Amino acid sequence: MRRPARLLTLLALPALLVLAWWAVSGGSFYLPSPDRVGRAFVETWFSERLVVDVLPSVGRLLAGYAMAALLGVGLGVPIGLSPRLRATLEPVLEFFRAVPPPVLVPLIMLLAGIDTFMKVLVIVSGCVWPILLNTVEGVRALDEVLSDTCRMYGVRGPSRLRRFVLRGASPQIMTGLRQALSIGIILMVISEMFASSSGLGFTIVLFQRQFQITEMWSGILLLGLIGLGLSVLFRRLERRVLSWYYGSGAARA
Amino acid sequence: MTGALKRGWYGLAGLGGLLALTEAVPRLGLVDERFLPPATRILGTLAAQLATPELWIALGETLRGWALGLALAFCAAVVTGVVIGVVPGLRALTSSTVEFLRPIPSVALVPLATLLFGPSLGSTLLLVVYASFWQVLIQVLYGVAAVDSVAADTARAYGLSVWSRVRHLVWPTALPYVMTGLRLAAAVAFILAVTAELVIGSPGLGAEIQVAQSSGAIPAVYALIVLSGLVGIGVNAAVRLLERRVLAWHPSVRSEVAA
Amino acid sequence: MLEISALRKVYEGPGRRVEAIRSITFDVGAGELVCVVGPSGCGKTTLLRCVAGLLPASAGEVRVDGVPVTGPPPRMAVVFQEYGRSLFPWMTVRQNVELPLKEKKVPAGRRRELVTGSLEAVGLGDVSDAHPWQLSGGMQQRVAIARAVAYEPQVLLMDEPFAAVDAQTRADLEDLILRLWRDLGVTTLFVTHDIDEAVYLGQRVVVLSASPTVVMEDLKVDLPPERDQLTTRSLPRFGELRGHVYRQIQRARDQR
Ligand SMILES: Nc1ncnc2c1ncn2[C@@H]1O[C@H](COP(=O)(O)OP(=O)(O)OP(=O)(O)O)[C@@H](O)[C@H]1O
Ligand SMILES: [Mg+2]
Repeated sequence: MRRPARLLTLLALPALLVLAWWAVSGGSFYLPSPDRVGRAFVETWFSERLVVDVLPSVGRLLAGYAMAALLGVGLGVPIGLSPRLRATLEPVLEFFRAVPPPVLVPLIMLLAGIDTFMKVLVIVSGCVWPILLNTVEGVRALDEVLSDTCRMYGVRGPSRLRRFVLRGASPQIMTGLRQALSIGIILMVISEMFASSSGLGFTIVLFQRQFQITEMWSGILLLGLIGLGLSVLFRRLERRVLSWYYGSGAARA
Repeated sequence: MTGALKRGWYGLAGLGGLLALTEAVPRLGLVDERFLPPATRILGTLAAQLATPELWIALGETLRGWALGLALAFCAAVVTGVVIGVVPGLRALTSSTVEFLRPIPSVALVPLATLLFGPSLGSTLLLVVYASFWQVLIQVLYGVAAVDSVAADTARAYGLSVWSRVRHLVWPTALPYVMTGLRLAAAVAFILAVTAELVIGSPGLGAEIQVAQSSGAIPAVYALIVLSGLVGIGVNAAVRLLERRVLAWHPSVRSEVAA
Repeated sequence: MLEISALRKVYEGPGRRVEAIRSITFDVGAGELVCVVGPSGCGKTTLLRCVAGLLPASAGEVRVDGVPVTGPPPRMAVVFQEYGRSLFPWMTVRQNVELPLKEKKVPAGRRRELVTGSLEAVGLGDVSDAHPWQLSGGMQQRVAIARAVAYEPQVLLMDEPFAAVDAQTRADLEDLILRLWRDLGVTTLFVTHDIDEAVYLGQRVVVLSASPTVVMEDLKVDLPPERDQLTTRSLPRFGELRGHVYRQIQRARDQR
């Protein structure tokens, strides 16, 4: 009885919006109707493009993101643990974080040429800062009483790192990872738009230049779905890693 | 007090170290000077560029796109958020749509922006507004949800009108969240403003970088990147200051200062 | 077992200097239970942290078993004043108790025995798979005590462990401490600001003055060794001792 009602509230507005889209799309050249976009979506992306353009793009994103995560956490932990190192590096890191990541694309393109390596490097160099700075902050704010408890009961070395430092800082680390994910997607797309001959970003811009409007919209839709999918996956991971954090009510908003 | 001073010295030492490093590495030939010009050359180029009116115009364009887009997104998101929060049932009705639209990366709109506006302010605004709208909206929704249900019941029991409920109950409660949203959105808006200029070619810092890059002027690229970082810091600092001002009376800030 | 001699601690903050402890000297014999009382802010926590090796002393010395303390000594356990914050929120109750034993490389079988035994001793056998934040304050306190007990320490330090629980729970926990202390024969230093509690639990009570802190009195509690909430507390001698300590602390306050 209640399930259908819930389903209705979930689907009512999206259905309304699609209907509105349908109604508006009639005569416009720039806005093809949803059914045409849907058909173009299937035709365009369930073809060899999936293997040639889409999967490599997503693969580069994930590779760069993973490297940035390792680098950010790996550097953030020692910096966060040492007050002196932190005081020395914080302004430098703040500066690097304030640089809008997309400007790294032209620079790295000049330096490293246009290849897979450059695209991954762009993603790493943009994603690493939020992860690094949030890790530093999380490690800095570790509870002193827990730290004393570790000292008292002989928890030190790798065990302290794994059981105390990383776990205690994990809420902030996850915040950094979440920020980095959206930056990573931006960088994936524009590194391909900027200079490339394949990949998702390139293909979408190509459609636009050739005025293949319906295909272009299907590309926008695909990017949206990728963003949505990654954020759903990320939320799953977050729920799992931070279940204690949400349970303890320490999380606010 | 002396602690802060000491930290300041350490920070200066860190910045000095970075400069010394970028000076020494190319000078010693560890990296080709064509790829990494020495710090003095980068800063010299920056100084020379700052003496030209073109750079200031570009900077003005970027900041205009940033501020205008941020303001539009902020107003739209606050109004939407408060309406969704105050009208019963609207939250449940909109949640799926919000959750679907929010993660869509705003760069997906680049081709659309190019098509509709070409290399102009309109493109910048489209990307900036889309990206920052969600940042603010989500925080406003959190904030409105944080209104204590007891306080809300009390307000209803005393027969406050919708308008005064929004003014005296919802808005003050949500304000810290709104400011958090503004802070996050400001950073994102700056990134997207530069992106639009870089990729679509709307006038601004990003377009300048694009021009410098295609003419192979590496020191100029570095100089402009440094400038964009400085502007980014300025933008963040300005929004933080605003946040501090607006929330000066608010307990959430006071406890932060005390701690 | 525990020798504290001319211990002094000055906090050197930026632009601020706090003499938390001027000079404290006293011993705790092996297997003894000594209570430390003193007005709030007199440096009890500071004393305990110096003894635990978590804080370097400004002068003087602490020895455990004849060895000067420079860092946390092995086989010493602490129950912190902020017990809630001393439990790892991402671990279950059992994992919290087990962690120090894992670090000590206690074999798995023995470990299980110790964890189960100590959790049952504090009456928490059935919540071992809960997380600390799912428990009440008093239960969290008992987890911290179980962790200290399972560690099989030579010396046990406790910092106002019952400050935040209700009267009934408090009485239960006091008896729990007495029982564990008697069963295990562990040398115990118990900090409290509750005079009743100090006299009820301790074999000796060390009374600290207000800041600048020195030992005002080292009082032997000549009550029968078997303590009981009802009978012990209604002994005339209990009242006398309590009154005596109370007057001492009053005096310490007035001297300020
Ligand atoms: N980290 C610190 N830095 C500077 N001063 C400190 C620090 N910790 C404690 N103090 C000061 O030392 C004095 C003693 O503090 P301490 O915490 O030892 O008191 P206490 O007897 O445990 O008090 P309570 O009964 O309230 O727990 C206080 O004046 C306090 O302000
Ligand atoms: Mg204390």
